[in-house]
Amino acid sequence: MATLPIPEEKYIQEFGPHVTDTPVTGWTAKPEPDKLVKTHCCFCGMQCGIQLAVKDNQVIGYEPWEDFPFNEGRLCPKGVKRYMQTHHPDRLTDPLIRTENGFRKATWEEAFDLIVRKIREIQERKGKDAFSMLSGVSLTNEKSYLIGKFARIALNTANLDYNGRFCMVSAGGGNKKAFGVDRAANSWADIPKADVIYVAGSNVSECFPTLIHYIWAARDRGAKLIVADPRETPIARTADYHIPVRPGTDSALNQALLHELIRNDWIDHEFVENNCKGWEELKKSVEDCTPEWAGEICGVHPELIRKVAAEWGPAKTSFLLHARGIEQHTKGVDNVLSLINLVLTTGRIGREGCGYGTITGQGNGQGGREHGHKCDQLPGNRDIENPAHREYICKVWGITDEELPRKGMSTVEIFKAVHDDEIAGMLTICFNPLVSHPNTNFARACLEKLDFLVSIDFFMNETARYADVVLPGSLHEEEEGTVTSAEGRVIRVRQAITPPGNAKRDTEILLELARRLGKEKYFSYNDNEEIFNELRVASKGGTADYSGITWKRIEEEMGVFWPCPEEGHPGTPRLFEDRKSFHPDGKFHMHTTPYRKSHEVPDAEYPIYYTTGRSVFHYLSGTQTRRIKFLVEQATGPICEMHPKLAERLGYKHRQIVTIETRRGKLSVPLQITEAIRPDTVFVPYHWAERLSANQLTVDALDPVSKMPEFKVAACRIRAATKEEAAQLRKDYSTLLQEAGA
Amino acid sequence: MSAPVKEFFIDFQRCIGCNACVAGCSECHTHRGKPMVSVDKVDPAHSAQTAPMVCMHCKEPTCALSCPADAIKMDENGIVHSSLKPRCIACRNCEIACPFGVPKISEEIQQMQKCDMCFDRTSAGKKPMCTTVCPTGALFYGTMEEMKRLRPHSKPINKWRFGKQVIETKLWVMVPHDVDEVVVDWPELLNGASGPIDLAVKLKEYFEKHGVPDPEIREPLPESMPEARPDETEEAEFL
Amino acid sequence: MRELADTLRYFAGQLHWPSVRNASLLTALLVLAIVVGSRNLQNFDAALVGYTYACVAAAFAVFYRYSVWLTKPPTKKFWRRGWQLCFQPALWKNLRSPRILGEAVTRKLVVQDFVWRRSPARWLGHMLIAAGCLLAFAITFPLVFGWIHFEMGAVEPDHTYIVSVFGFHVHELPLAGFFSWLVFHGLVVASFMVIPGVMIVMYRRMMEEGATAVQRFSRDFLPLILLFVVSFSGLLLWVSYEYLEGYFFTALAQFHAWSVIALLLYLPFGKLFHIFQRPASLGVSYYKAANADKDPARCPVTGEAFAPKMQTDDLKEVLGELDFDYSAPDGKGPAWNEVSPRGKRILIARAHSIARKHKFD
Repeated sequence: MATLPIPEEKYIQEFGPHVTDTPVTGWTAKPEPDKLVKTHCCFCGMQCGIQLAVKDNQVIGYEPWEDFPFNEGRLCPKGVKRYMQTHHPDRLTDPLIRTENGFRKATWEEAFDLIVRKIREIQERKGKDAFSMLSGVSLTNEKSYLIGKFARIALNTANLDYNGRFCMVSAGGGNKKAFGVDRAANSWADIPKADVIYVAGSNVSECFPTLIHYIWAARDRGAKLIVADPRETPIARTADYHIPVRPGTDSALNQALLHELIRNDWIDHEFVENNCKGWEELKKSVEDCTPEWAGEICGVHPELIRKVAAEWGPAKTSFLLHARGIEQHTKGVDNVLSLINLVLTTGRIGREGCGYGTITGQGNGQGGREHGHKCDQLPGNRDIENPAHREYICKVWGITDEELPRKGMSTVEIFKAVHDDEIAGMLTICFNPLVSHPNTNFARACLEKLDFLVSIDFFMNETARYADVVLPGSLHEEEEGTVTSAEGRVIRVRQAITPPGNAKRDTEILLELARRLGKEKYFSYNDNEEIFNELRVASKGGTADYSGITWKRIEEEMGVFWPCPEEGHPGTPRLFEDRKSFHPDGKFHMHTTPYRKSHEVPDAEYPIYYTTGRSVFHYLSGTQTRRIKFLVEQATGPICEMHPKLAERLGYKHRQIVTIETRRGKLSVPLQITEAIRPDTVFVPYHWAERLSANQLTVDALDPVSKMPEFKVAACRIRAATKEEAAQLRKDYSTLLQEAGA
Repeated sequence: MSAPVKEFFIDFQRCIGCNACVAGCSECHTHRGKPMVSVDKVDPAHSAQTAPMVCMHCKEPTCALSCPADAIKMDENGIVHSSLKPRCIACRNCEIACPFGVPKISEEIQQMQKCDMCFDRTSAGKKPMCTTVCPTGALFYGTMEEMKRLRPHSKPINKWRFGKQVIETKLWVMVPHDVDEVVVDWPELLNGASGPIDLAVKLKEYFEKHGVPDPEIREPLPESMPEARPDETEEAEFL
Repeated sequence: MRELADTLRYFAGQLHWPSVRNASLLTALLVLAIVVGSRNLQNFDAALVGYTYACVAAAFAVFYRYSVWLTKPPTKKFWRRGWQLCFQPALWKNLRSPRILGEAVTRKLVVQDFVWRRSPARWLGHMLIAAGCLLAFAITFPLVFGWIHFEMGAVEPDHTYIVSVFGFHVHELPLAGFFSWLVFHGLVVASFMVIPGVMIVMYRRMMEEGATAVQRFSRDFLPLILLFVVSFSGLLLWVSYEYLEGYFFTALAQFHAWSVIALLLYLPFGKLFHIFQRPASLGVSYYKAANADKDPARCPVTGEAFAPKMQTDDLKEVLGELDFDYSAPDGKGPAWNEVSPRGKRILIARAHSIARKHKFD
């Protein structure tokens, strides 16, 4: 609703982000905790086990949880420092209502009344779907499921989508096309048993540090490591083969690899013939895809492609991992499929040490994308347009088909619809598009156009500043539930303490809203376990079948892998052991992935590739990590990585402040000169907002299948920053380090 | 039967620079809020290489011997502790003398503090915090047998040569089987070098001379470069 | 117990004869001072003779240990540098040297703000103990050495005491009155400082995990127990004498005497020796002040200034005396201790890469 009434600095002054690096009981002698709560880290898809030390309803520290089988106590710096967020001075503790002077504190009664009135008003005026909901998958399975149901029944809108649209949807799209199921095919326990590991487009060392241990365990057995990445990331640095691929050309690389596999007959003919579909077309499609052809496109030496093919082809066992690097493209699904083809043609799946998986980025990126959180999906990874699926869910929910909305718009489409005046209201939870939306200047313009925006969050994220009502929600450690880690393991998240002040648990907020919207009878749960039990029923018979999983079992077994169709079922760490996919025909579907260019490639005007990614010290939009001093000190703000050759050519030096421009915006950042990046590409991490947002420059073109925007490729030009831009950057950087109370 | 002896192993090559060890080190009760582990960017202009450093607990600790106040003590398990608070006069001899660059002087509290292998944890049978959280195994705590079984391509050694000085440490460093001591011979590297970038160039020459497999195919193919746009320059002194 | 054993070993078989000589000389001087100061033992209180013997023995041990300590190469270097810099003409311009000394004494020895920053409670405990002990020593030593002597003075109009110092009458003190109460109850006041101080420090030692992890009985608890026993038995003496008509006084007095003797004899061996060592920190202040405006040592790897050049030079010499050879193998380049801590760590990581032949395995 319109522009911000007061300057940005005022919001920062009142709500942060401020940094703090002090436990709630201080750095003086630590008191003896009352209890250690065995739960999980709130960041990233690894969901490492961790114990929170609790005393007097306060999280005073942590202890590693060495018995949890995935990480055995290992953590990254975010996990170690995570407990600093719980009692952070920036925590929201009261509902806030927008005024001309920013926000004023309000009672829950007042806030709920206003929200319900506005929802009704907008929906009566412009139709049910004019009120949208956007959510995130750092939330538990229970919340994700509840949000799916809340949006469809309580808000009765089709337009619910989630921030996985910016994260994992291309992987999901590819997985469903090839396997008929959307999950990593193996638990990580298969990684150490692989002879070759191919990591495509994932800076595992910074995004999933605790997974590195598994890769080294394989290398200790003699495994070879291949990494494709335009940057020489820490994992690429030690790899046996680093393919410094040009941004946006992954499918060409993979086609050439497949071409080499076929040429050398490193094909599992028996598997391809009996268990796959589409082999002949696929084979034909890569006939001309020689390493020379791909080398030209990808900007790598053809010989390197041959060598990599020679490692991958004849190997006995292998594991293929990929992440956002190949997924966040207008051809993300194609890139995923081109990799899956390398797995299927060699038949190395569904066996010990033979694996494939996307590394889910968000905390509950796996579980959160299975139970009706997406615009086209119903629980159990069901299709909202499939009559049988609709019928089943209608039965579980006790509604008629007419009452269940149909497929809605995806996230970027929702923003465009806001811009086009089709959508007027929005409820967001766990979502900060002002950092994460491509072309953030457009996203801001959309937020300014909204008639009514409600944000539920534990901190005042940058998007929430635009809200009419901000509701103080709960942290990961303040509510019971489950999440599903990137390997498909359903695990328990524990409530360690209650939310501070007048803040409420997220489910409490949603259930109360549902009640006030007159849909109480569909939302009567005594506790979150009841929500999970309903989720089990709703997922039954779907591909993501949780029906045999109970909270008790999860606790006893340290997690259960879905699908788990009945209570006696042991769970399924490794899929496809029967050599059958989840498609009705049981075959693995091969798809051709003809190379096509990215939406925007460098030209005379914008001659340099621009790509974005993460830093190990921050999580997603930084709402949490930008408030923890240790992490902020390690990675204060965005920097631009540039190869010395390019820097020399442009006449810039290390630490110089430059301004990067694309057709959508500009960004001033300091230069980090390093040989660890392609000379034709620059890189900026994306965790910051407003003037420091790397996404001011990115493209909002979408993958036709997954609707994933192209975060990884844009064309930019770079100039020296003006005095004013440099002064502003210095100021912004110092703001990032501002301490609470200072 | 006594519990098997656990040792501390360090393998620099596995470090990914995540600083989890540094973050976790702040939790140590003997120096709460102040990390004693260091993670350094080895050569940021050329690669993402980083390296952790904890106290190696020398068998003959240079820090203790160079202390004028007799403030640095090694215990019966070979752990070299932070300086004794009543004695330490914060003269910084230890900081400058330590061959591994480990001790840290706090002028504020007039004491040298250093990694004591998480004495509060190891003395209670737990692993040091940095080895527990280290996501890659660059820092590892376990028995010698365990380590040899887990990492057959490397062997642990505890001998270092700094020029002519040989130092033996309680901690082990992982090296290839044909290496018996880590030789730190800086003069060759330092001759004429006048700063980190310069040094990095010299080291790069060293590697090129000693052979990196297939250097030519590891480089990205050359790219047509944009034209320079000379302008005023502003430096980010805050980085 | 290890430290105690270590120290005892000095006396067992590794006597350092030059130090024995030094200590003997100084102790002889002390004895002479006692004899002269008490006017040929005329003012000497025979009841306190046990204390005197203990003091003399403790003094010998303190002198001995101090002397041995000064023979260690790094200590010797600092000792000499400290004096040298203190009297360096350059530092006497504008009376800088005394000002440096004044500030260092105030901050490091009197106010001890660095202990406050370790923890305020700790500072309070330490201050109470330190001030209480100094007060008690200031009263006890002159008394047992016969340097201060009280005699009955006038009876009319008021009772007075005549105070003589080194045999000279210096003051006549009315028996009633606040000041004389203070003089005669100085030890009581001291125990009222030491006991709460010990309590505060003990509490911390028992409650803080950081402290409990590294503390040792002989090093950290024994001195506290000794201080407590001395103060508490002294306090009981006063209670017995003042309020209980001397109930149990003789036995208490004996117990107190033995506890004091034990404390005195502990002084040179344990933690309390830091009282004598601590002034060395003044030398550090001189080191810093004298080098503040000189070119520092710069790291050849990182380029950063990391220490006074004088210190890296001195240390190079000291390390040589300690039989370390960190010089450059070719004799030309900088010694290893002329590389900054960060520079060393970087080169070590490099050396490891070289040992691994730049391969990853």
